[in-house]
Amino acid sequence: MATSDITNVRARMLGQDVAFSVSQPWLAYWLVVMRLVGGWWLLHAGLDKIVNWPFDAAWFVGGAAQGTSLGPVLALFSSGAGLAFTNVAVPIGQVLIGLGLVFGALTRTAAFFGALMMVFFYFVNGETGGWAHGVVTGELLGILIFGMIATLGAGRVLGVDSYLQNTEFVENHPRLRYLIG
Amino acid sequence: MSNHTTADRIAMYVGGGLVVLGTVGIGFLEMLLGSPHPVSGEGQIVHDALVPLELRSYIILAGFLVWGVYAIYMVATGGHIPGTTQRDIRAGQVE
Repeated sequence: MATSDITNVRARMLGQDVAFSVSQPWLAYWLVVMRLVGGWWLLHAGLDKIVNWPFDAAWFVGGAAQGTSLGPVLALFSSGAGLAFTNVAVPIGQVLIGLGLVFGALTRTAAFFGALMMVFFYFVNGETGGWAHGVVTGELLGILIFGMIATLGAGRVLGVDSYLQNTEFVENHPRLRYLIG
Repeated sequence: MSNHTTADRIAMYVGGGLVVLGTVGIGFLEMLLGSPHPVSGEGQIVHDALVPLELRSYIILAGFLVWGVYAIYMVATGGHIPGTTQRDIRAGQVE
């Protein structure tokens, strides 16, 4: 690997100076892989619900979630308009998040909402038996992967965001950089 | 060298600390000091947690909340998010 392929990361953590080298091609490569696989995870989940429409989340928000840490929050969406919203928002949200991650479009926004959605799955599924073999589950790792995608702005690698960030519109509205990337 | 704001430190150390405490820290305690896990007649493992599962949940959840609030705070205030405060070099561009 050429020396120019290496970049040095310097930071200060816990009062210690931290310095290490990173292979730039491999860093870029893994960002794309994480985006594609993590994106497909939610895109598939959303498309699966739409293909098998109608989707009814009542068993989850009104059933499984009751008595869990997030039960009081999800109870608000367990009947009436709240449930009707959830039944549409979950499949559509999963598709949009998945598309955003796969294509690297509005990546940070997509990753944030992906992590938010996964938080609900993690605690409800975990507290109702999913943590029988430990609290580190696929959902927890999903939250961490989405966090990494958002932190590192993975959409700028072979993604739509690499184009968006250089548009005049984004350059005139720098705050938008927090939503793409 | 990095120049962390107070918000960065809170997100990194409080948020990350709570998540790691809830997963790794309490997990390690459960292994060391937790009750044994006898297998019931049905083959099900009976697990009496040292730290109540609900408390462990809230600790991890609090960590996620700190991270989430930090992200929203950064967007709302226009604070520094890695890779966003300056334009990236374009592909093929010489540094």
